[in-house]
Formats: sequence, structure tokens, C-alpha cells
Amino acid sequence: MASKPIDWSPSNWPKLLYQFFTSFKVATAIFVLMTIVTLLGTLAQVDQGLYAAKVKYFHSFFFTDKIFGIPVLLPGGLLLMLVLFVNMTLGALVKVRKRWKGLGPLISHFGMLMLLAGGFVTWAFGTDGYMALYPGMSSNRVESYRNWQLEVFPLDENGQAKQAWILPSDELQSIRVDEQRSYDADGLPFDVIINGFTKNATPIPVTANGASDATGKEIDGFKLAPQETAKEAEQNLPGAYVAFDPDGEGENAEAILWAGSYRFDPKEDPMPFQFTVDGKNYGAMLAKKSWHVPFEVRLDEFIFERHPGVSTARNFESRVTRFSEAQETSLEIKMNEPMRYVGYTFFQESFGPPDGKPGEMFSQFAVANNPADQWPLWALVVTTIGLGIHFCVMLIDFIVRSRKKTSAAPSS
Amino acid sequence: MRLSFTLPFFLVAALLATSCRDSGPTGTNIVTRELPESQQSFRLVDSSAERFRYQKRDAAASTESAPAASSAPELIYTTPEGWEKQDGSMMRDVNLAFGENGEGECYVARLPGAGGGLVANVNRWLGQMGADSLTEEEINALPKKPLFGQPATFLDVEGDFSPGMGSTEVMKDYRLLGLILASDAGAVFVKMTGPKTLVGENADAFDVFTSSLDVSLN
Amino acid sequence: MKRLLLALLFSAFALPGLVSARDLPKSLLPSYEPWDDEVVHTFENLLVQEGGRVKPIYSVARFTLMQFSGKTTASFQTVDGVDHKLHYAEWLLNVLFRGDVAKDMPVFIVDDSAAVVQIGVSPKAKRDRYSYNELLAGRAKLAELGAQFAEKEKKYQDSEKDPQYELGRVEGMILTLGRNISSFEYLIGQFGFARQGELLVNENILPEELTELAKRLDVVEMLERMPEMTLDQLVQAVRSQPGTSEDERMFSGALRLFFFHANTARGLNLFPPQEADNEVWLSASDVMIGALGSKEMRPWAGEQLGKIKVLVDARNESPEAFATELTNFAEWQHSISDPRGEGLHSDLEVQMYRDKPFYNALVCFIIAFVVMAFSWLTPGSKTGKVLILIASLIAIAGLVLNIYGITLRSIIRQRPPITNLYDTVIFITATAVLLGLLIEYFTRLGVGTLVAILSGLMGMFLSMKYEAKEATDTITQLVAVLDTNFWLATHVTIINIGYAAGLVAAIIGIIYLTGRFVMMLMGKQAKDFFKTLTRMNYGVICFCLFFALVGTVLGGIWANYSWGRFWGWDPKENGALMICLWTLVILHGRMAGWIRDLGIHMNAIVLAIITTFSWWGVNNLGVGLHSYGFTEGVWGALYSSWGVLGVFMLMGVIVWINERKKKAMKKDDTKAGEPVPA
Repeated sequence: MASKPIDWSPSNWPKLLYQFFTSFKVATAIFVLMTIVTLLGTLAQVDQGLYAAKVKYFHSFFFTDKIFGIPVLLPGGLLLMLVLFVNMTLGALVKVRKRWKGLGPLISHFGMLMLLAGGFVTWAFGTDGYMALYPGMSSNRVESYRNWQLEVFPLDENGQAKQAWILPSDELQSIRVDEQRSYDADGLPFDVIINGFTKNATPIPVTANGASDATGKEIDGFKLAPQETAKEAEQNLPGAYVAFDPDGEGENAEAILWAGSYRFDPKEDPMPFQFTVDGKNYGAMLAKKSWHVPFEVRLDEFIFERHPGVSTARNFESRVTRFSEAQETSLEIKMNEPMRYVGYTFFQESFGPPDGKPGEMFSQFAVANNPADQWPLWALVVTTIGLGIHFCVMLIDFIVRSRKKTSAAPSS
Repeated sequence: MRLSFTLPFFLVAALLATSCRDSGPTGTNIVTRELPESQQSFRLVDSSAERFRYQKRDAAASTESAPAASSAPELIYTTPEGWEKQDGSMMRDVNLAFGENGEGECYVARLPGAGGGLVANVNRWLGQMGADSLTEEEINALPKKPLFGQPATFLDVEGDFSPGMGSTEVMKDYRLLGLILASDAGAVFVKMTGPKTLVGENADAFDVFTSSLDVSLN
Repeated sequence: MKRLLLALLFSAFALPGLVSARDLPKSLLPSYEPWDDEVVHTFENLLVQEGGRVKPIYSVARFTLMQFSGKTTASFQTVDGVDHKLHYAEWLLNVLFRGDVAKDMPVFIVDDSAAVVQIGVSPKAKRDRYSYNELLAGRAKLAELGAQFAEKEKKYQDSEKDPQYELGRVEGMILTLGRNISSFEYLIGQFGFARQGELLVNENILPEELTELAKRLDVVEMLERMPEMTLDQLVQAVRSQPGTSEDERMFSGALRLFFFHANTARGLNLFPPQEADNEVWLSASDVMIGALGSKEMRPWAGEQLGKIKVLVDARNESPEAFATELTNFAEWQHSISDPRGEGLHSDLEVQMYRDKPFYNALVCFIIAFVVMAFSWLTPGSKTGKVLILIASLIAIAGLVLNIYGITLRSIIRQRPPITNLYDTVIFITATAVLLGLLIEYFTRLGVGTLVAILSGLMGMFLSMKYEAKEATDTITQLVAVLDTNFWLATHVTIINIGYAAGLVAAIIGIIYLTGRFVMMLMGKQAKDFFKTLTRMNYGVICFCLFFALVGTVLGGIWANYSWGRFWGWDPKENGALMICLWTLVILHGRMAGWIRDLGIHMNAIVLAIITTFSWWGVNNLGVGLHSYGFTEGVWGALYSSWGVLGVFMLMGVIVWINERKKKAMKKDDTKAGEPVPA
């Protein structure tokens, strides 16, 4: 069968594009590429950790990798899913011949589109963070797992603060190790100058072994030694060289700020760097990025059980009270039974400290705000119906044809 | 057909929009916020070391470098003249060397629980010195010297020493003095080896050392 | 061809005759008197709490012997020339109540004699079993090296697998042997406290004076007289010097003796606790130490320890007395545990291990395979069809046994069928066999039965191999996140059905490719048969897509309920996604014209590679939330099976090349016949 020569003229481009985006060949190619990308990404997770590999392979448009030592350029997860979405919409919904036999695939493709759309919405608009509480504590703040911001605040005579100035994490974390940026804040009688931000670092005294390798400045007997970024992104403790330049006269106050000075346990108070400008005391620290939810949660009781005689946790759950708009509600949050309220979902995620004894432990909730929370469920229902219809049609077809064959003369 | 084209474009727009994985302040400018009660207090420390939790890390590091023997009570003893302390190892709680080139060594090892028993260990040492094994009766009849205030079996053997354990060399004309104490809380071994004459010169020192061994009750 | 096949089949039967029974390892026991069957049966039902679960001691015996010996029987030949093959329950009975005999039973497997040489014991065969007494000479060295290697292993884990700390093969064996010997010593010495100074292990540990004391002092009596002390205080007292007066020395000796008894009676948690709301069972050691610390507990403790004393005394008295007391003990245990709701299905558990459903299923599948092979001698004939029918019925029997085993386990556990990696093996096998039989019902070609038999063979064999390798109880307790029957019953079951379908597709693919290859070599055709196979496989792949996709999405929804995110690109999730993607590749590739018949079957084999990677590989990457199945040797097994699958792919490639050649030749022929263009 001779093929017609392809018309490459610009006027034909829309048609060519349409043919490209609706072809089975493109769909198959995308699936093959997605399999390869998923495999490479999974293997990379062993060395790079889940989060870093996720960002490189699945949340990107392109990436480079080495297969058996040969460098290759491959499309990333985002690009593949985008093309797939277009391909499915145009090919499976628009182009396909509308006939009864094709009803199953039509419905299931629509379900898959819902799934993909849900994925995009979650990725673009979803938020996640955590809240850790000891029994008796209450809070309305959710902290980020891995993003840090800079906070500066005036301290009163009791060493407390009521208000803080924040340099947001997007800005802070974009500063490179060798870069300097300066910020002027209204209401603060000084500028904040950042002389380099390191994603993962440890302050070491200049007398320690290996201190000579650290190239940062020495402040108060310590230097900031950069470390390799940890595989689990949550384990990174960033550090920064910060200076406070008074608007009027006076010397700069310089400091190393380190994420490790922040709290590791909900009971702890963070340790800010203190300095004085114009006779007033101020504190500065790296703090986890945080935001608030429009209600307060108080942990009343945290129940923790291990399987008898072994160290595996059998069950852990929290009894909480939720305060909102002068209304109090008591409820339970446990594994597989989260609390959903005004768009936020609280999951029983974990607990600590790791060697804690029951009765002396804190409960940690994952707090997510995902507009597309229930979309996957609906997508699944739709897809299942579609696949089910298709499967039944195919099965009946196969049985009928096989019966015809076996009732005729035996072949083998 | 128009409708199905807008869908992808909407998504492309969504993609190009800045993705924020969490909420909270964004952008490049400094913003302010009121601190809730739970976040108004701080731990104000004076030193950078404390702020960087360095003392704790330092203390932790120094206890890590101490040998694992610290799980058992510390040993105290008199070091005889001319004997020098060597680094302990996982097995050796006390490790001393003597002689011009340090060819003589004397160490104390403790094995919790089993340890194999008196007979097995005596015969193991005898084997290392190229001597024949003894029967249980013969071992029970061996002389005893005090170790931690208890009677411990005393072994005095001459021969060619093959320490085994990875090295295939044989040291000729060696002498071994050893004490084995098997108690319910564990087995204790004191083993001194070295060239025959050197060990002979230090035989008294061996007694001084072993009788001085004690457990510090700190 | 027929003759060749016949010859092969008959020679397979002759093989067992040729291979004489391998000589059993020799034991130094002059003779062995077996226990009374009834006593063993009573013993089996004693309850023990282990791994967070109350279970019959039968299971503990099974897995302990498996761990030491690599198999479930203790076989040896006594000096009088009699062969003995002890069931694991009887073996444990010996260990606990006739330790001196047990110490001479060669049960410790050493895979490389270099390991025993290193500890100073004379080696036997390259791979052999040793008794405790045979290894005793090297006991000290074993402890020393064991401690060394344990430290090295810990460094290996802590340093994130720095290769310089990786244990060598022999080092690993020594470490395992040391641990096994230690566990054995604890079992032997478990009831030592009730034996009045008759110490069976580490006789030399206790100094003479204490050995004498042990003959006179009873542990319960000691408890009555001692002051209240915590364990730490006891340890301190033991380590300190005894005083000079006779009384002080006596007291110190008694303490040391008590500590010795308490130390050796660890490990077997036989005693339900006093308090109703306390779930942790106690070993004799726990009872002793608990009573040491609390005078209130002593009367109760005396009762518990007294029960063991009664047993040990009865053992010395007569077999009948022992049988009676053992029954009493078992009844007493059940009388306390039943109201607590613990160990309610222990008799079912014993029954399950006695019935050996998976082993018997394997036997069924082997027989079915032989019958099937005979049917190939007369393909298409009536005899052939009858033989296929018989094979199918036997395969059904195998399936029933498989399902029986799964059901029993679910009842014992009170949970849906799949809770850990072992469960997936038996479940996937059952699903694949069922699928094969269903295909047979609809196509009547014998192919479905063959698929069922092959799946059953491989699956049951794998389950036994995996169980032996892990040598721990395959009925385990669940971690908190899995503590939900709904999702376990839905997501986990459905996705495993998807795995099974993917593997069945590969088996059909193998049959197809082998068939095409053989037909090509023989120059024959069987177009209709192969067409049917292709349609069959297409159906199975669609089935696989359905279940894999639904299972994966359900997994995401479950993850959303527990962890707050539907999809996290976790390795296990990625594995399941790849299975879905590859079925989609096959389906869409066919519609794109890129894949035809041969392609479908070859890609089905790729699907199996992806499925096994997702089933076993991702658990062993060591990263991600689903890293729950750490198994050594998995990668080796995976690579070998992929290699074998690769061979079938190669066959497919050769057939494909051959086909293209034929087509090209045909084209040339037709071209040659065409009129020359003007």
C-alpha cells in the first residue's frame, strides 16, 4: 500500500498537528517514554532520595540522564502528561468514531482525563505541611516540611515578641551561597543583608577538624560548613550569613543563622540570634515557613500502642478539639480516618520523639489543602465503569468466536 | 472542537503559574505578621555554641569515641614498671605492652554470658602455643591465682606461638601466662605472651598487675 | 519425536531409583527413643506469644528449626544404625525437656565448611549439618567472631552500606551460626531453673560452689527470701565483690545463681500476665525478675514457675506422668487465654501446618504436569483429551488446596487474605491457576490447563522457597497504616490480581513463542491455534489492565486517606504505574499498527519483567514507604528469571526475522512474475 506524500506547507500545519496529536502512534510512544522515565526515576530515588528524584524526573519538562554511561535527553513527566492529555482529549474524545462498541473506551478515557486534571490541580494549587502537638497544646499554625524563611522581631523586656518581619522562603532559598542581597524593611531601623544561603550546612567551631575546609567567614568562633543535601529533603538544615546594618550610625551586627536553632520538638522554644540596635533588642532566626488555618486544634489525648513485646506500632490516634467561630467540636483523628474541615484535611501522620514512652509523646498531623481531593475517586468510578463495559463486550465477543471455532472441526 | 482546545490551554496556563507546594508568604518582599501566643516565647541563649547545639554534639561525640567497654564497669589496675598502655580494642578492655620493641603484650578481655567455658578456652590457648590439650580433670587440677578476688585458673606454657586469627606467622620460643575466670556474669581472660626470656623477666609484674585488677564502682 | 518424549518421561520416573537415599548425618547418640505421639500432640498446642501474637508452640518450633537447619525435620542416624527423622514439634520437645539428647542432634546447617574451620571445629562435608556438641569446641571463638561481625554489620547499616563493612560470605555464615547457637542455648536452658542444678549448657560458667548451691536452692524458695531489688540493682550486686563472711558469700552466691537462672530462662513467653488489660506475655525470666522487683507479685510468680517445675519433675518420673502434666499445663494456658481472646485459633494454626496445603498443592501440580506431558504424546486424539481433562481436575484439586491454605490463614489472622509478601505469593498463584482453568473452560485447547499447572508449580515452589529463606513466621502482625480491613481487602487484593494476570499473559506468551519457534524449525504451520492464543492473550492483557489500573488508583485513594497525598511517586506506586503503562503500550501499539501477533506475546513477556520488578524489585531498593520486604538474594533470582524470559524473547526475534525473510522472498517471487513496466 503506497502512502501519500506528506504536505509540509504551512497552511497544512494545523491539520498535521491535529493528525499528530490524535494518532495512536503518539499515544504508544508516550506510554513507552513514560515507562522509561518512571523506571529511571525510581532507580534514581535510591541515591537521590524521593523528593529530589521526583523533582528531576517527574515534575520537569526535560531532563538528562545516563543510560549505560551514554548521556541522553528525555522528556520529563510534566511534558509527557501534558502531551498525553492533549492526545487523549483530541484522540479519544473528539476524533474517535462514535459507535456503541466504543462506549467503554470513551468513558474510561474521560475518567483518565479527570485523573490527570486532578493531578495537575493538586500539583499547582495543593499545599501540604504539618502540625505537631503535645497533649494540652493547641495551635492554628501549619509548618512546611522543607521550606525555611527568615524572621526578625523586636524583643520586649521579657524576651518575648509580638510581631515578626519575614523574608519569604521563595526569596530566601533562591539566594546562592556566594550571593549578597540586601533588604529594607519598613518599621525596622536597619537593613537586612544576606551574604549567602546554603541549603544544608552545619556550624562548626574554627578549632574543629576540617574547619579550614569551610570557606565562610568566622563569626564568634564558628564557621558555616556546607554539607551535601540530604536524601530526605526534610532533613536539610540550611544556614545563612546575615548582617544587620543600622539605618543610623553604628556597626553592623553579624551572625550565622542556622535552621538547627529552630525547634525539633513542639515543646522546645527556638533559639534566635540576639542583637541590639538603638538601644532596642531584636531577635533573628531561620524558621520553618508557616501559615495558618482558619480554626484552632487542641490535642487532648494521644493514644499510642505497640504490638505486645515488639517495637512495631500497632495503632496511634489522637483525640482533639477543634475551635472555630465560637464552636467547639471534639473528634478523633487516626490512621485512615482524617479530619476534613473547610478545605483542610488533617491526617494522623506520625509521632515523636522516636524513643518516646507512651504518655510522653507528641502527635504529628499532616495538613493538606487540596482542591482536587476527591477527584481521583470520581475519576476511578468513571474509569471503572468504562473499563468494565469494555471488558464485558470483549469477553462476550471472544467467547462467541471461540465457541464457533471449537464447535467446528478441531484444528490442531 | 473549539471547546476541547481550550481545556489544554487552561492547563498550560495553570502549569506556567508559579507552583507553590505550600501556602504562606510568597514573593520577594518582607512582610509582617502577628505572632500567635504559642510562638511568642524564645529560649535566649548567650553563646553561639549553645545556639548551634554544639555542646550537646560535642559531648555526644566524646562519649561515642570512648570504647564500647564502657558498657561494663570501668577497670582499675596498677601498671607495672616498664609496661606501656596501648589502645584498647573491641575485645580488649586493657591492653599493655612491654619489652624494648613492645614484643611482649598483656591484655584483659571479658566475654559476657557463655564464652565457651573453661576447658575450651584453656585448650585453645594451649593449641596456640603448640601444646597438647588437657582433659577436664587436668584443667581443674591446674593452679589457681586470684583475679577480682576469685580463684582463676592459671596457665603457664612455653612453645612456638601461632596467634592465628588472620596471621600465619609463628613466633618461636615464646611463653604464655594466662588467667581464666569463668563466672556466671561472664568470663574474664588475662593473657600475657612474649619471647620466653622477656616473659620470665616480667612474671612477677604479671602477678602485680593481675592482683591489682579491680572494678571501679563509679 | 514421540519415542523421544516417551523415553524422557520414563527416565524421569527412574531417576528417584537411581539417586539412593542420601546418607543422613551421623549423630553421636547411641540410640534414640521417640516420644509418644500423644505427648507430641499435646505439646503442639501449648501457647506462646511471639512477634506480637499468641500462637501455638507448633509454629515456633517449625520456624526455629527452619532457621537453624533450613528444613522442618531433624534427620540423623544414631550409632546403632537406625535412621531417625524427627518432626519439628518433637525436636523442640527434646530441646526443652531432653536437652542432653538434643545437643547431639545435627541440626545446625553450615553452607561452607570454611566457617567451621575458622572457629576451630573439624569440618565434615562442604555443606553439612552439625550438632551443638560438635560445635562446642569452637564456642568461644564463635562468640568472639560473632561479636566482631555483628559490630561490622552494624557499621554497614549505619554507614548506609559502605562496602568496606560488608560482611563476606563466610563471615555472614559465622554470624548467623553464632546467633543460632545462642538461641539454641536459650531454649535448652529455658527450664534449667527447675532442674536443680542440672545445667546443660555452659556448665563451666558457674564456679563449683554455685553449681553445688544450685542443687540445693530452688528458685521459688530463693524468691521468697530475697529482698526487693530491681534488675539494675541485681546486676550491680552480682558484679561487686562478695564480702568476707560466710553469709555474705552465700548471699552473693545465691544472687549470682538467681541472675544466672533469670538470664537463661529468656525467650519463650509462656505465661499470660496477671492483669487483664496487659497484653504482654511473660517468659520465666520475666516472671523471676518481675517478682524480684515486687514482693506482691511473688505468690503469683511462684505459681507460674511451679507449673514448670511440675512439668520437669513429671518428665523425670514417667512418660505417663509427663503426658498428664503437659495436658494440664496446656489446658491451664487455654483457660486463661481464651477469655482474654488470645490464641483462639491456635488449633486451626496447628491444623494448617499439619495439613501442609501448599506442599500438597505442589504435589498435585507436579502430577498434573506429568499427566499433561503424557497427553502431548497423542495430541488431538481422544486419549489426549481425556488426559487433559484429568490434568485439569488434578489442577483444580491443587487450586482447592491453595485456597484452603489462604482461607485458614485469613481466619487465624482475622484479616483479609493478603497482609505481607508471603501472602502475595500464595494469592497470586491461586489467581493465576484460576485464570488458567477459566481459559481452559472457554477454549478447551489444553493451553489453559498448561498455564494453570505451570503457574501452580512455580508459585507453590516459590512459596516454600521463600518461607525457608526467611525462616520466620509468615503470619505476622500489621503495622499501623495497614490496620484497615477495607483497604486491605480492596486495593491489595485487586492489585495482586493484576500482577497475576500480567504473569499469566507472559506464560501464554512463552507457550506461543516456543510453539512458533518449534513449528518454524519443523517447517510446519498451526495458524488457527496461534491465532486463538493471540486472542486469548489479548483478553488476559485487558483483564490485567483493568485490575492493575483500578488497583493502582485505589492505592492512591487509600494513600490520600492515610498520608494526605494521592500520588507521591513512591517506588511501589511507580512499579504499579509501569504495569498499567505497559498494558496500554500493548493495546495502543496494536491499534497503531506497530505491534501485531508476535509483538503482543513478546511484549507480554516484557510485561512479566515489569511485573516481577514491581512485585519484588521495588521492595528491595531500600527506599520509599513500601520498603517492607527486605530479602537477600532477590536481585539474583530476579536477574536469572529475566535472563530466562530473555531467551524466549530471543526465540520470538528469530521467528520474526524468519518471517520477514519469507515475506521478502515472497515479494521477490511476485515481483519476478510481474510484467516489465513499459
